[in-house]
Amino acid sequence: MNPNREESACQYVLDQLEPAERAAFERQLLADPALAVLVHDLESALARGVGALPRRTPPAGLLDRIEGRLGTARPPGALGRVIARWGIAAAILLAVGLAGVWKGRGPAATGPYVLFAGLDPRQSTLARVPVAEAAPGPDARFVQLASLAQAYWDRPGEQPVKEGGAPGQGYAVFDPGTNQGFIAVRRIGAAPEGKRYHLWVIDTVSGRAREAGALPAAGDGGGLFFFSVAPNPGAKAEQLNFSVTAEDAAAVALAAPKGRVVLGATIF
Amino acid sequence: MERTLEEDAVAAEAALVARIGTGDRQALPLFSLAVRLVGDGGEAEELLQDAFVKIWRHAGRYDPRKSRPFTWAVTILRRGCIDALRRRRRHPAAAAWPEEEPAAPTADAAEAAAAGEDHDRLRRALASLPADARRALELALFSGLTQTEIAARLRQPLGTVKSWIRRGLLGLRTTLTDPTA
Repeated sequence: MNPNREESACQYVLDQLEPAERAAFERQLLADPALAVLVHDLESALARGVGALPRRTPPAGLLDRIEGRLGTARPPGALGRVIARWGIAAAILLAVGLAGVWKGRGPAATGPYVLFAGLDPRQSTLARVPVAEAAPGPDARFVQLASLAQAYWDRPGEQPVKEGGAPGQGYAVFDPGTNQGFIAVRRIGAAPEGKRYHLWVIDTVSGRAREAGALPAAGDGGGLFFFSVAPNPGAKAEQLNFSVTAEDAAAVALAAPKGRVVLGATIF
Repeated sequence: MERTLEEDAVAAEAALVARIGTGDRQALPLFSLAVRLVGDGGEAEELLQDAFVKIWRHAGRYDPRKSRPFTWAVTILRRGCIDALRRRRRHPAAAAWPEEEPAAPTADAAEAAAAGEDHDRLRRALASLPADARRALELALFSGLTQTEIAARLRQPLGTVKSWIRRGLLGLRTTLTDPTA
């Protein structure tokens, strides 16, 4: 490669260009794949060098403080809530380009997939969403799920099944393989006095409902929430459905839903 | 089949992210980078927090075709630290890549091995450079000095310094990304 282009690439990676030069170089990058590859390689080399630096233990509480900052720095229209302990990983990976991992990869019929359920106050409508193979283990699948859930939150038009138009709309993204997922709830409203909203994953054939947890009691009930449920080996993915019910707040351990369905599938 | 360096890096990154997710403070090499650039103390933490906020706010601009997420995060953090150094005109006296202190042991053997191997490769790459070229590269990486300022500090022509930095960085690329190097 021309030494001048190499030098510009090095200066770009090392932040040695003036703003105007930087803008010009970035335009050049768009039109020159070989130059883009060089910049990619240089940035990767620097990142690997960072990984080789002597590790310094961050001060106690750093993760909490970063999560706190993220909590007040959400972009407009972004999630109302994100599971706190994953906030930093989300910042690095979950919120960003893993859309590139799941978008358009693999045939829907044969490859790995997760479930998407469009929820409205009367029903839950399922669709399969193909995902990439490269997600070994629950942590990596979590990354994919969170990416999907946030992408659908930010870009509702890309959802495979439309949310209901009535108040209380939402959706769930669920991986039957690792039994974890996210539920997004919009404008569900505060739970009635003495009630809490609970999420259920239902096997529509056996009627067995697995409790996935209660939505936070405070606030308007809206947001995006992570959940996981106990395995149900007999349940087939296409038989699953999702429901949010209003249960007595005093109830400690619920074996089955008893309250009114406020979102998603009618259980019985 | 032998795994490539890229595959190893991806595997180590996946393990790293999983551990970040569970709150493992040691799994934050980004903090090490911030300390390396601006020194210990509150400023490194402040800049790291700023970087995460930028990542969060600009997530939509990330293009997975161009870089891996960790590389992107490093770029954002490094840029923030360099900007801070230039704003404050505070240039660390010892802007050098540590030679003898390897990455601390980590809980994950694969990640530790990858970091250790990278450290060895890094040392070899830096050792292969002439002393002045190595100093110029280290200043460009860690001091926040512009190339003109580096040239003045090293009392060398600007063109010479630019050439040193270019060759040094290209050498690092070869050493750290080419599995046959």
